[in-house]
Amino acid sequence: MVVKLSDYRGKVVLLNFWATWCGPCGVEVPWFVDFEQRYKSQGFAVLGVSMDEDGWAAIKPYVSDHKINYRVLLGNDTIAQLYGGLDSLPTSFLIDKEGRVAFPPHIGLISKNEYVNEIQCLLENQQTTSLHAGSDDTSASLACPAK
Amino acid sequence: MLGLMTLPLLSPAQQNKMSVAPSDPLIVKRGEAAKQILKAVILPGFHVNSDKPKDEFLIPLKLTWNAGPLEAKSISYPKPEEMELNGSQMVVYTGTIAIETQFVAAKDAAPGSSTATGKLKYQACNSQMCFRPATLDVHFPVVIE
Repeated sequence: MVVKLSDYRGKVVLLNFWATWCGPCGVEVPWFVDFEQRYKSQGFAVLGVSMDEDGWAAIKPYVSDHKINYRVLLGNDTIAQLYGGLDSLPTSFLIDKEGRVAFPPHIGLISKNEYVNEIQCLLENQQTTSLHAGSDDTSASLACPAK
Repeated sequence: MLGLMTLPLLSPAQQNKMSVAPSDPLIVKRGEAAKQILKAVILPGFHVNSDKPKDEFLIPLKLTWNAGPLEAKSISYPKPEEMELNGSQMVVYTGTIAIETQFVAAKDAAPGSSTATGKLKYQACNSQMCFRPATLDVHFPVVIE
């Protein structure tokens, strides 16, 4: 089944690229489970895109073991290229309700609080600016994550 | 498909986090055994999983040899380091490691020079991120007498 990010228009989305073999990714998984539970009713969703070369055979046991409650998808090199190559994991993007990348991507492990601040910011603010590819205005971003 | 937008991200360039030092030629008499040490260097600040990681989902270091002039009878990996990382106990390699392979030359092997070839698969991380599994080609000259 093909999932389109546009299907999530109107929601804040945490788009997380990860893999079962990635230790730092595993640190984030319980956070994302918490976010999905805590913010789902406010119009938020986590999408976990696995870059596992072994596909679902590797992913399914991991999802079960870690009781992942958010949607997990299988990525590939084509998807990776669309998001800058994804040479390192985890890499995450916060997408606003209009389907735009709202903040610079998080490449590598960051703190849970940084995610919380950005998610709450996007859920509370309808007016967002974005970092579009090719946009002349890449300096504008939301101020609220600086909590 | 998740192709909503294209982003010109400056992600860290994919580069080998591990390299293999050139190996000396191995001279073996027909029907006899010999050992070869493969030295691999891991970039500072990175680690690779040991051959037996504690977590079943982690990708182990694995050396394999192709069929050729010598038969690999056993492969011995060095003792890994214990490392606590992001709350998990890991067994990893850092710095320079030596992997020993015991080879045997067949009794009917043709005398002469050739090359033994193999692959070293690894998966590297630092404390903040991990990199896709990678495979290095490894080889060394063989002389069968």
